[in-house]
Amino acid sequence: MLSVYRLSLRQLSGKWRMLITILLILMPITMSVIQTLVDDGPPDDEFVAVVFGGMLIGSILPIIVLAISSAAFANEIEDRTLANLVLSPIARWKIIIPKLLASITIAAPFLAISAVVASSLSFESDTEAVIAVTVGTLVGVLVYSSVFLWAGLMSTRAIGFGLLYVFLWEGLFSGMVSGIRFLSIRHYATAIVHGMDERQFGQGDTMSLATSVGAAAAVFVIFVLLSIRRLRRMDVP
Amino acid sequence: MTNGTSPVIQVQDVSRWFGSVVSVSEISFDIYPGITGLLGPNGAGKTTLLRMITGLAAVSDGSVSVMGENPRQNSEIYSRIGVMSEHETVYQFMKGRDFVKMMANLRGVTDIDAATAKAIDLVDLAAAANRPMGTYSRGMRQRMRLAATIVHEPDILLLDEPLNGADPRQRVHFQRLLKQLADEGKTVVISSHILEEVEQLADTVLLVVNGKLAASGDFHAIRAALNERPYHVKIVSDSPRELASELVKLESVDAVNVDPDGALIVLSRNVRDVQMEVPRTAQAKNIRIRRVDPLDDSLESVFGYLVD
Repeated sequence: MLSVYRLSLRQLSGKWRMLITILLILMPITMSVIQTLVDDGPPDDEFVAVVFGGMLIGSILPIIVLAISSAAFANEIEDRTLANLVLSPIARWKIIIPKLLASITIAAPFLAISAVVASSLSFESDTEAVIAVTVGTLVGVLVYSSVFLWAGLMSTRAIGFGLLYVFLWEGLFSGMVSGIRFLSIRHYATAIVHGMDERQFGQGDTMSLATSVGAAAAVFVIFVLLSIRRLRRMDVP
Repeated sequence: MTNGTSPVIQVQDVSRWFGSVVSVSEISFDIYPGITGLLGPNGAGKTTLLRMITGLAAVSDGSVSVMGENPRQNSEIYSRIGVMSEHETVYQFMKGRDFVKMMANLRGVTDIDAATAKAIDLVDLAAAANRPMGTYSRGMRQRMRLAATIVHEPDILLLDEPLNGADPRQRVHFQRLLKQLADEGKTVVISSHILEEVEQLADTVLLVVNGKLAASGDFHAIRAALNERPYHVKIVSDSPRELASELVKLESVDAVNVDPDGALIVLSRNVRDVQMEVPRTAQAKNIRIRRVDPLDDSLESVFGYLVD
């Protein structure tokens, strides 16, 4: 498993992917810096919703994870190197798990840094708020990684499908039809943030902390199992 | 059964289709230890067939058995099989030695360093083993991929167009190595669209054309059949009718037609004699030959003859 993990780390840490990731994670930090320079005191609800709900968890988190996790298999399928791994006497889960761990290893630190720095600046080092934003973001990394890893195995157009899911399903439709929010990773992540610090983030969410953690865990496990099943049954190019 | 041994690979009525396109159609054959050539023009279905034997692709119908087991969804079998796909892509950033080491590790080799060194020595690439594979020539990439394929000393080697990109020296080395592995009792299946390539390596040939098994068995019988096939040659001269009347007298010529452009279409089953006698005849009659074009030189034509 370590061989596949090391290989995947190297494959996924390309220069351009890292550069774009760094630029993206700087955006919420920049917004928080501007907010601290302009305003005295804690940010208003609108700023929190836009920067932490919309920008960090709603856009930057899924885009970064999509770019990394979907590539874990999509690139190997596209350049036809996946056969090197599949033609080995190892169980399929021993390929899926290291690839997933490598995706998380690369995405999580960047997004955690963005969450910690931006929330520390905006909430004046309020530990509870910082932990809430960071944990919510990291849960999002785990669940999105699982889903987009599977998407990369299902299609070479995983990026396109991922963007449609993030911006149409989670961004547009879940705002219009409240029931859709129960099938939204973004909603699980924001519900966790709200649930962990109701003082700063209010109680405006329709899911409890326990429900959102349970839903996130279920989606994570389901998509890991779907990925293993897919790798067992697919025709490998 | 052949030579008292059981077949290592059994392919029984195997078909594979993609939507309405049939790539492989009801093919059956057995493969025994030694070198077997899977021969056929590009697009004949060789790669699909190999992919089904390796378990990388599912069969639409029929069955494949490798050492008595279904290779599909049976990863354990890969400890005894080495597969080299036709795709030459490698991990560009990875050093050749690290690539072979990784494959040894994945395939459960116990002494990884020794096995890696031995495999790299076998392909004669020790000097370049510590360079990233992105810097390799096409032939070097193929050799390092072969090292990775044999690092766990598999009983069966399935090689899809392995000589692609190899220069003549590398080709000879490659062929010698494959023969050595076959002499050790291993089963080697090598696919190629180049007749001569298979001729030099394999005693047994499976000829696949348009997704069907066109011929199988001893290579020399197939080669003899190819040599006796009717052959068309187009000859452009300054006096076609006079040349035609002389050529029909030759024993090596079966028929002569004049096409609408005035060129002669000569049909023969003895190309060697025609090659010598046509210029001699033209010279004797003082006829100038402007152009001679073989019309049946494409691989599709050669293989198509055996199918018909």
